[in-house]
Amino acid sequence: MWTEKRSLVLSKCCVVAFMIMLAVAAVLAPRAFRAWVVYMPEQRMVYFRATVYIGLVPAVSLLLLLYGLLHRIGVGEVFVSKNTDCLRYISWCCFAGAAVSMASAFYWFPWCAIGVAAAFMGLIVRVIKNVVAKAVSLQEEADYTI
Amino acid sequence: MPIVVNLDMMMLKRKMSSGELAEIIGLSQANLSILKTGKAKAIRFSTLEAICKALECQPGDILEYKE
Repeated sequence: MWTEKRSLVLSKCCVVAFMIMLAVAAVLAPRAFRAWVVYMPEQRMVYFRATVYIGLVPAVSLLLLLYGLLHRIGVGEVFVSKNTDCLRYISWCCFAGAAVSMASAFYWFPWCAIGVAAAFMGLIVRVIKNVVAKAVSLQEEADYTI
Repeated sequence: MPIVVNLDMMMLKRKMSSGELAEIIGLSQANLSILKTGKAKAIRFSTLEAICKALECQPGDILEYKE
């Protein structure tokens, strides 16, 4: 039977899987690009590597924050200000990823689509953060109603 | 907050300890402490009623508005 706990475990597993994929991508990125795009000039290859390695910073931060958020939810700390901060940082990670992708569009236009998607995701997370912030204040009020 | 809880004073007048009051009104010591220290954001009518009954006083004796 599907339970809330199993769902959390699955989410954590997915985050860990993404972390592993990211680590593999970081190691194999130069070789993968060479195999993927045959007629790529060396200069553009450097740009691709730069985009991937700079983009890794917000991606890794986001996954770590996501893991922390899931852990807190697992131990019953749902509507706490720590989670609001966490969601805020996650949204900034999305925006940072979007900025890196947008900046990379000058040498490969499809990066632009990834940038827009990341920015849109950041916006959604920001809205969720506002909802959680409101829930935190309601929870605090309920906790301090005697 | 301009609302001051004078529970301590009322308890002193009635010579009642925190533990005793908490037991009578069915509140935990921790929650009673939140109320006494003015950290509470709201008070239920049922709690106020129980306190007034236990301390034989009026709500105005416990809650005070100060500018």
